Amino acid sequence: MGENNAAIVVEDLHKSFGAIEVLKGISLTANEHDVISILGSSGSGKSTFLRCINLLEIPTSGRVYVHGELIKMVAKRGEMQPADQPQVDRIRSKLSMVFQQFNLWAHMTVLQNVIEAPIHVLKVPKREAIERAEAVLQRVGLLDHKDYYPAHLSGGQQQRAAIARALAMEPELMLFDEPTSALDPELVNEVLRVIRGLAEEGRTMLVVTHEMGFAREVSDKVLFLHQGLVEEQGPPDQVFNNPTSERFRQFLAGDLK
Amino acid sequence: MLDLHGYFPFILKGMGLTVAVALLSLLIAIFLGMLGALAKLSSSRTANLIASVYTTLIRGVPDLVLMTIIFFGGQILVNNISDYFGGGYIDVSPFVAGTITIGFIFGAYMAETFRGGIMAVSRGEIEAGYAYGMTAKQVFLRITLPAMVRHALPGFGNNWLVLAKATALVSVIGLHDMVYNATVAGGATREPFTFFFVVALLFLVITGVSDVGLRWADRRFSVGVRRD
Repeated sequence: MGENNAAIVVEDLHKSFGAIEVLKGISLTANEHDVISILGSSGSGKSTFLRCINLLEIPTSGRVYVHGELIKMVAKRGEMQPADQPQVDRIRSKLSMVFQQFNLWAHMTVLQNVIEAPIHVLKVPKREAIERAEAVLQRVGLLDHKDYYPAHLSGGQQQRAAIARALAMEPELMLFDEPTSALDPELVNEVLRVIRGLAEEGRTMLVVTHEMGFAREVSDKVLFLHQGLVEEQGPPDQVFNNPTSERFRQFLAGDLK
Repeated sequence: MLDLHGYFPFILKGMGLTVAVALLSLLIAIFLGMLGALAKLSSSRTANLIASVYTTLIRGVPDLVLMTIIFFGGQILVNNISDYFGGGYIDVSPFVAGTITIGFIFGAYMAETFRGGIMAVSRGEIEAGYAYGMTAKQVFLRITLPAMVRHALPGFGNNWLVLAKATALVSVIGLHDMVYNATVAGGATREPFTFFFVVALLFLVITGVSDVGLRWADRRFSVGVRRD
């Protein structure tokens, strides 16, 4: 059962695409203010895992609790489906996701991107949404770019705008799906700096990442996935200094492809 | 200078009707086209099938043949229904029949154009909408629709120009459009060339104005994408 103080509890999550089982039973508990990094080589299922939490992918089986509330699923013609779409919409609005490819809405300016969901999903009055948006844009250092369209920004700026969009929802949990993987190396740090700042102020976050140094520095807990299973987990000091799994050792040494 | 023997206002009156038929059929075509595109993209097999029959049938038969079939067939159908309920003879207005027919034909072309536009919208932008708690309707109206316009506009502009010119067909079902009036005036003065030349010029005016509008729309909907 989901303990009530946990921001998120995932129990025995499985996901198959056709005959291929990508996730083979993953469980995770994130308490309030936890920063959990999810590591793994490509194909380990780490992004799929994150996308199952907000139901961008529908898990084949397993349970997800958000603040103790179970996301209800039903089987329809042998396939799992959300039982209560309004519940899914409501829960999604509390879980802001930041994508690898930013996925900003190209036909809207930065400001419009940031106020869109607060106005239309949370029903925040427009004036208040703009104030909130300007505050978060200030925070990610993009206030002077608020009237730019995404295409006119660098990758790092786009990702910071996407983080501002996520923050404007005042989320209970933030999901980062490889937020720096699509960036040029020199732009990675400006984005990591923003995410680090969010971690320091006690936000609850799940971060799928390849940035080892970052994971080690900001996480309360590290999860290493391999072939759809949790291969290693624990506080960063422990897992990085004394990994128990041979595969994780190889991964850290850069040998695991 | 062309001598139109005082028939110019008569031709212009026809032009007004041509424009009215074109704009009204455009509205119908946009509506049917959007419906057709959504049906083709939906996961419902029945909707796929109906939309496929519609686009395949319409796009496979000449417009003139369709126009005639729908006008006369519609006439027969309406009167059969009227007879059945004991009503009298009903004359289907050529304006209504012509407009609906052209809208119906071009709806099929629009369906394909819109389908292409929707498919070109970035999957990630749509996903972001869902991830932030938007309903399917909100995602469609606020993200997919405005984002697809840019992709659909070139094909849409094409369809509109062909549609505007296809209104010439309504003259065969007796609608007094620009082409019909030119035929009458050309016959009366025995100068068909003069009048059809004028009609050609007037069509160029219609399509020229459209071009300006389309270019404006293209700029408007590409605003976040163009780099200049």
